[in-house]
Amino acid sequence: MATRTLTFSGAINEAMRLEMRRDPTVILMGEDVAGGATLPHMEGEGKEAWGGVLGVTKDLVTEFGRDRVLDTPISESSFIGAAVGAASTGLRPIAELMFVDFFGVCFDQVFNQGAKLRYMFGGKAQVPMVIRTMIGGGFRAAAQHSQSLYSIFTHIPGIKSVVPSTPYDAKGLLSAAIQDNDPVIFFEHKVLYGMEGEVPEDNYVIPLGVADVKREGNDLTIVTLGRMVHFSLEAAEKLTGDGVEVEVVDLRSLSPLDEETILASVRKTHRLIVVDEANPRCSIATDIVALAAGQAFDYLDAPPTMVTAPHAPVPFSPVLEDAYLPSVDTIVATVQSLL
Amino acid sequence: MSTVGIIANPASGKDIRRLVTHASVFDNHEKAHILQRALLALDAVGVEQVLFMPDYYGLVERALDGLNLSLEAAELHMDMHADERDSTEAARRFCESDVGCIVTLGGDGTNRAVAKGCNDIPIVAISTGTNNVFPCMLESTVAGLAAGLVAREMVDVERVTYTAKQLEVYVDGQLAEIALIDVVASNELFIGSRALWDPRRLREIVLARAEPSSIGMSSIGGCLHVVGRQDPQGMYIRLGQGNTSVLAPVGPGLIIPVGIQSHRLLSLGEQVALEPAACTIAVDGERQIEVFSEQQVSVRLTNHGPRVVDVQQCMREASQCGVLSMPVGRET
Amino acid sequence: MAEINKEKLLWAYERMKLIRTFEDRVAGLFAEGKLPGFVHLYAGEEAIGVGVISHLTDKDYITSTHRGHGHCIAKGVDVSPMMAELYGKATGACKGKGGSMHIADVDKGMLGANGIVGAGGPLACGSGLMAKTLGTDQVTVCFFGDGAAEQGTMHEAMNLASIWKLPVVFVCENNGYAETTPWGYHCAAKDISDRAVAYDMPGATVDGTDFFAVYEAAEVAIERARKGEGPSLIECRGFRYYGHFEGDAMLYFTEEEKARNRARDPIESFKKRVLERGLLSEEEIAGIDAKTAKMVEEAVEFAEESPWPVPEDVLTTDVYVSYP
Repeated sequence: MATRTLTFSGAINEAMRLEMRRDPTVILMGEDVAGGATLPHMEGEGKEAWGGVLGVTKDLVTEFGRDRVLDTPISESSFIGAAVGAASTGLRPIAELMFVDFFGVCFDQVFNQGAKLRYMFGGKAQVPMVIRTMIGGGFRAAAQHSQSLYSIFTHIPGIKSVVPSTPYDAKGLLSAAIQDNDPVIFFEHKVLYGMEGEVPEDNYVIPLGVADVKREGNDLTIVTLGRMVHFSLEAAEKLTGDGVEVEVVDLRSLSPLDEETILASVRKTHRLIVVDEANPRCSIATDIVALAAGQAFDYLDAPPTMVTAPHAPVPFSPVLEDAYLPSVDTIVATVQSLL
Repeated sequence: MSTVGIIANPASGKDIRRLVTHASVFDNHEKAHILQRALLALDAVGVEQVLFMPDYYGLVERALDGLNLSLEAAELHMDMHADERDSTEAARRFCESDVGCIVTLGGDGTNRAVAKGCNDIPIVAISTGTNNVFPCMLESTVAGLAAGLVAREMVDVERVTYTAKQLEVYVDGQLAEIALIDVVASNELFIGSRALWDPRRLREIVLARAEPSSIGMSSIGGCLHVVGRQDPQGMYIRLGQGNTSVLAPVGPGLIIPVGIQSHRLLSLGEQVALEPAACTIAVDGERQIEVFSEQQVSVRLTNHGPRVVDVQQCMREASQCGVLSMPVGRET
Repeated sequence: MAEINKEKLLWAYERMKLIRTFEDRVAGLFAEGKLPGFVHLYAGEEAIGVGVISHLTDKDYITSTHRGHGHCIAKGVDVSPMMAELYGKATGACKGKGGSMHIADVDKGMLGANGIVGAGGPLACGSGLMAKTLGTDQVTVCFFGDGAAEQGTMHEAMNLASIWKLPVVFVCENNGYAETTPWGYHCAAKDISDRAVAYDMPGATVDGTDFFAVYEAAEVAIERARKGEGPSLIECRGFRYYGHFEGDAMLYFTEEEKARNRARDPIESFKKRVLERGLLSEEEIAGIDAKTAKMVEEAVEFAEESPWPVPEDVLTTDVYVSYP
């Protein structure tokens, strides 16, 4: 497959474009995914006000028109619920919920409806929908626009949750999510949107539930996800100088969880650190530590450890936010403390 | 071709009087339904074309949605300001388009704006405003029938219409505004929310009609002396402490004593000068002109108002002429 | 329709001018890269916030929106700690923890700007319920945008306020766009005040660029609420000069629309009319212009010179009152 350099947001855009070309039942809706709906000067090819608040859905309206790229009112409960209803009756909607923080206003539609329809109906329904949403700090966007709430959704049976870390993964995982017959929440770290990487031109899928070893090593396993994959890789590079080889496992999807890859790595390196940008309690980090403690206890030479944000909301001030988020230095120091 | 023009104002019936009196909010959904019934009636009596003013809600478009009518409906191509200028401009366009009758939806204010542009095209005015004297509370099905009969000249238009009176407001000798019912000088210094509701803030009233069965300023005069829509008179009232106080419905649900210093009847053509003072001049219930103490304001009563269809008279006439009855078996 | 005294006119002009000066300065600072995060500016909507808050005291409450700087200033929040908060400094109104979207000053009755669209409605019902339960005469004003009008929370809040007859005034600042999405598209009823019928409360639409129109409507609605006669809904039609947030290219605005808006600037119109009427003098206006310019410059200086917060000291404080 021919590849070229693409940004993380460009890769996501391309996955949607290719899937929408392939399958006419795929539609996209969300706040300002085109922008400027019904304004006379916003009609016609290439006319959109935004293409998503950070431009991720840019130009999709040009190709697919406003019947398949729908601007919504600021009514998250109704359009997320509509995505559930449409998915269970024959469409394959992609709903963009601008920030993960906004799930607060539509949570019922996600966890009581979308997640449970299939089970409650005795398997007689399926909900093939994707909710794309932004996560993460680093934008100085403060407490209501910076959270990393994927763990909450991982907790709920019936929902799949995916957190890509590279443009290549983002495209393949999103294509898989769109083709998947269950509700998938696709968490995009806003700081990664500008990141570039090699991405094949053609459509491809990366199966959900398969972790990726981003770096091999024998001394310690870092299990991580999203933006923290890059922090962890940077920390691993720094540690090479000390003769320490860290293995970095990128979870990619939290539910389903690739337990085998995690456990295999821990059994090989005998040490585990989970690096997670989210808050520490009841999180994917505690979950993976529990997994290792339960199923690789005999292999562990050090206590499984977590590097996370503190148990506090995300602060606004740059100095506070920088101190709040896990850093490369903290990861390096934590690795050193376990060897 | 028989053509009816429609000017429907989505903004009528939602001003501050919902807060200061007991007026109802007149919502757009209801207005669209009223128009639906009027359109069905126009179609039933064979009107061929409807032209309508564009508005921000799309009242007529929404009314047409789902109706299967024979008549053709077309929106006027005009710039929208979303204020009264639209109504005046639409009425002007109707004069150029051979419109036989105009149906208005709104209050006194809407009809005043229409009157500025409609020349002698007869108006069927359906009330959807607040303190309305000019438009009537009419079932729009009947109003639509009447408008259709007039537009198609199926009745004697002269016999079923009358010419309304009009008040002309001059500021420093220049015609600044017109009113169909009342001109009021109030102590308010600013147009603000436009409405008037506190009689203690009012100074002078000039009325084209003084009707005790109406609501608003006209009712204050109506308590003193009745001046009907076709009487060749008007009234001037100076408010304030005096020998008389009237109990008038100055707003919906707002029935309060109003002090009268003096009042007198005006004859057609008479011009009355208002007392010089910093004030605002309200026309048909809405503050419209901010006046400074050095300016001179006068009001002239004329019979140059718009031509108005008396819907009851029109339907009686139709009955008498038999235009709505036909022998069985010969309907077309 | 009580007469507005001179003191109130001076206050109103000062607050509107202070908001405009503050917001224009923030736009410049943001463009210079001095302000982290994102800011949503209130310029153009001054007559609404100031016209409504004219009738409130420090004891009354307001809930605000992501576009909250104007509400803060009208409610009397000091611009220096506000500016410091936008910089993320330790002296900020929220110690640098909140930022532009979360500025609050509970002592001034300002229950916070809000990052979640439509979140203020239910909160306003809460402070309304407090006043009703404790028998105080405090009123809460809930400011929300036309975009928020489509949020379930707002529908629920207005219904709740109505069944409990709460002393809450819902003020919809209809600036025409929910981010980029025009009101003509996102709102089926077109007149948000129409919905008052469904909530069984009075509703009215006024010109939100005319201070005096807003002032009159708010006076009546707030008075009703204070007397225990229940909630009302006022829709103020206006516009914003800046984009949804700074950095928004505003492609959804046409040049004609921008020109139309400039022609009905709420502050210019206020100034022209009070001068014409001789209610305020040119000297008084110039005095306020100079004063507000100075206040904003001092706020910038204060913010620039203020220290950064110390993470070790404050990162995990203020999460709970007590947490062993």
